[in-house]
Amino acid sequence: MNSNSDKALMLKVKKGELDKLGLLFERYHRGLYRYFYRMCRDKNTSEDLVQSVFERLLKYRQSYTGDGKFSTWLFSIARNQFNDHHRRSERIGNPVQFDDDRFEMPEGTTGPVHQAKEKKEILEEALYALPEDYREVIILSRYEGLRYNEIAEILESTEGAIKVKMFRAMKELKDIALSFEKEYNYE
Amino acid sequence: MNKKYEQLIADYLAGELDAAGKEELELLLAEGKIDFMEFRSIEATYEGLGDLSVPKPDAATSTRFYAMLDQETQKNTQAGLFERIYESFRKMISQLSVPKMAYAMALLIIGGFIGSWMNEDSNEIEKLSQEMQSLKEMMMVNMLEGSSAADRLKAVNISSELPNADLEAINALLFTLNNDPSVNVRVQTIEALKRWGDNERVRQGLVRSIATQESPIVLIELADAMTELEVRSSAREFEKVLQERELDYNVQQKLQSSIAVLM
Repeated sequence: MNSNSDKALMLKVKKGELDKLGLLFERYHRGLYRYFYRMCRDKNTSEDLVQSVFERLLKYRQSYTGDGKFSTWLFSIARNQFNDHHRRSERIGNPVQFDDDRFEMPEGTTGPVHQAKEKKEILEEALYALPEDYREVIILSRYEGLRYNEIAEILESTEGAIKVKMFRAMKELKDIALSFEKEYNYE
Repeated sequence: MNKKYEQLIADYLAGELDAAGKEELELLLAEGKIDFMEFRSIEATYEGLGDLSVPKPDAATSTRFYAMLDQETQKNTQAGLFERIYESFRKMISQLSVPKMAYAMALLIIGGFIGSWMNEDSNEIEKLSQEMQSLKEMMMVNMLEGSSAADRLKAVNISSELPNADLEAINALLFTLNNDPSVNVRVQTIEALKRWGDNERVRQGLVRSIATQESPIVLIELADAMTELEVRSSAREFEKVLQERELDYNVQQKLQSSIAVLM
């Protein structure tokens, strides 16, 4: 095993070399932040959740067995953290909400110069309008580069089911983006 | 749509489709079993996702993490030290008589000298080189996110000193190749990635990058890299670029000659 592989580093953390967690943090904190931000679209919550994932890694380091891919294990923890946060927020009557400034086009953006930007904004809004489980599969696959079998492990599903979900999520995303585009052109 | 077709398209989007799968997909599209317009539209949406802004955490996230790690390390060191001292005393007192202890100590010292004489050099060197690699990687990933193109160029150059094709380094470089605004940085990134040209992820990443590149210089650099690495699957991507875009005559010539070599 490469001594700087994720797995080797985490096993060293388990043995007490806590400074090795620094390299794992450098490798993964941006990806985790992107995952959380794209799930909840809230900067502070996302930063808190990144911190809590690494706190959890430290707290439960003794339970790390080294089985399977480290990134899969990490994203499973991240997902549980997100779900816990989601549930807690709902219980105290403060559900995770997107920012209110969504889908506001800049003024005078009708010419071709702005088309690419508009398309980008429309697609971004469409992504956030997707059901959460669809959005999650797209984030993990398209943005975090996880393979379908890894996503299946994180979501406790099968590889085949994840592939079907990915296709349907992309189809719905395309349809939503199209309807937003039409809506915008009518305005 | 048939679930099997859906899975096939999902594999295609993620670049997980093998040659047989690609052939099957092309056949299904040609036979009209999969709606071509719908397929293209989904593919374009998937590609469009690459243009969305990338959320980045504040520097405060790192500060907070390292403060937490420091605190935990201190706690751990103190606890570990006390535990070790207590444990050694307990064992010595309970298990060893004085002559036995003296004998064990003598053996330990002699063994220690011999062991350190034999292993010191190689262990130290190995440990140092591992530390250096970690540091270089960490530095590279951080510098690639920097705002100055000169820093990002330095980061790309650091990657050429990494001995192994590390997944993190590859991902960071591929991300730079597809998103960096500077042509120089992207050209240098291709050079850096070429070193790991036998890695499948690098090859696929370079092929996927062809469609996202607007600069003729980067396209020419990619064409050279694909020819050098003999990535035949890139020919189709170059053909698509030639069909879909109005390129400068010299660039067209270059791409056509590369396609001819790759076919």
